[in-house]
Amino acid sequence: MFRQIVLWVLVIGFVGLLFPLIVDACPNCKNLDEPIARGFNWSILFMMAMPFTVVGVIGGSIFYQFQRANRNLKV
Amino acid sequence: MTHSELEFTGNRPLSNAKLGVLILLGAETMLFAGLIGTFLVFRMGSDLWPPLSHANIQLPRLVTGINTALLIISGYTMYLSLRAIQNDKVKQLRHYLIFTGTLGLLFLIIQGSEWIQLIGKGLTLQSGIYGGIFYVLIGCHAVHVLGAVIWLIIVIGKAIAGRFSVDRYIGVETCTIYWIYVVALWPVLYFLVYFA
Repeated sequence: MFRQIVLWVLVIGFVGLLFPLIVDACPNCKNLDEPIARGFNWSILFMMAMPFTVVGVIGGSIFYQFQRANRNLKV
Repeated sequence: MTHSELEFTGNRPLSNAKLGVLILLGAETMLFAGLIGTFLVFRMGSDLWPPLSHANIQLPRLVTGINTALLIISGYTMYLSLRAIQNDKVKQLRHYLIFTGTLGLLFLIIQGSEWIQLIGKGLTLQSGIYGGIFYVLIGCHAVHVLGAVIWLIIVIGKAIAGRFSVDRYIGVETCTIYWIYVVALWPVLYFLVYFA
C-alpha cells in the first residue's frame, strides 16, 4: 500500500515536471523585468547565500582556532 | 600534551563562551539578512527612492558618515583593549574600554539627534515603506549598539574591580567579538540605506 502511494506521488511529480507552466505558482517570478520581481529575486539570492556564509565563517573560525592550538602545541 | 589532554585541562582552543557568542552572531546575521532582504525588495521594487511622498526628505549622509568613522574607531580601540589585556596591561585595558564605551555612547546620541530631526521633517515609522524600513533596519542596529554598550559597561566595571588578568580575560574577548561585529555591520547598513 505504502509503496503504491510513493509510486503514484513519483508518477504525478514526474508528469508535473513535464508541464512547468502548471507549477509556475509564484506571481512575482513570472515577469522578471518588473522592478518588484527583480527585488524579490535579489533578496532571495542574498538570503539564500546567508546560511552558507554563516556556517562557513563559524566553521572556519572554529577550524582556525583548533589549528592554531595544535600549532602552538607542536612548538 | 596531547589534544585530548588539552581539552581535559580546560585550556580549550575555543571556550564555551566564545562558541556561544559565535552562534549568537550567526543568529544575528540571519536576522539582519532578513531585514536587508526586505530592504532590497522595497528598494529595487521602486523606481523612485525615496518615494514621491518623501521626496523632500534628505538623509543626513555627512553627519552619519562622521558617526560611522567614530564607530569604526571604537572597533579599533576595542581591539586594542583586547591586545592590552593579552599583554597584561590592565591599566591600558581600562582606558581603552572607557574610550570605546564613550565612542559607542556618542554614536547613539548623534543617531538619536538625527532621528529627532527626521521625525520633525515627517519621516516616521508609520509614514510609509520608506520610513518603516529605515527605522526598523537602522533601529535594529541601534538596539544592538545599545546592547553592546551595556555589555561594555559591565566589562568596564569588572576591569575596574580587577577581575581580568593575562590568564583570565574571556569576558573582554567575547565583548570584543560582539562589538567588532556590530561595528562591521554598520558600514554595510550605512551605504545600503543612505546611498542606495
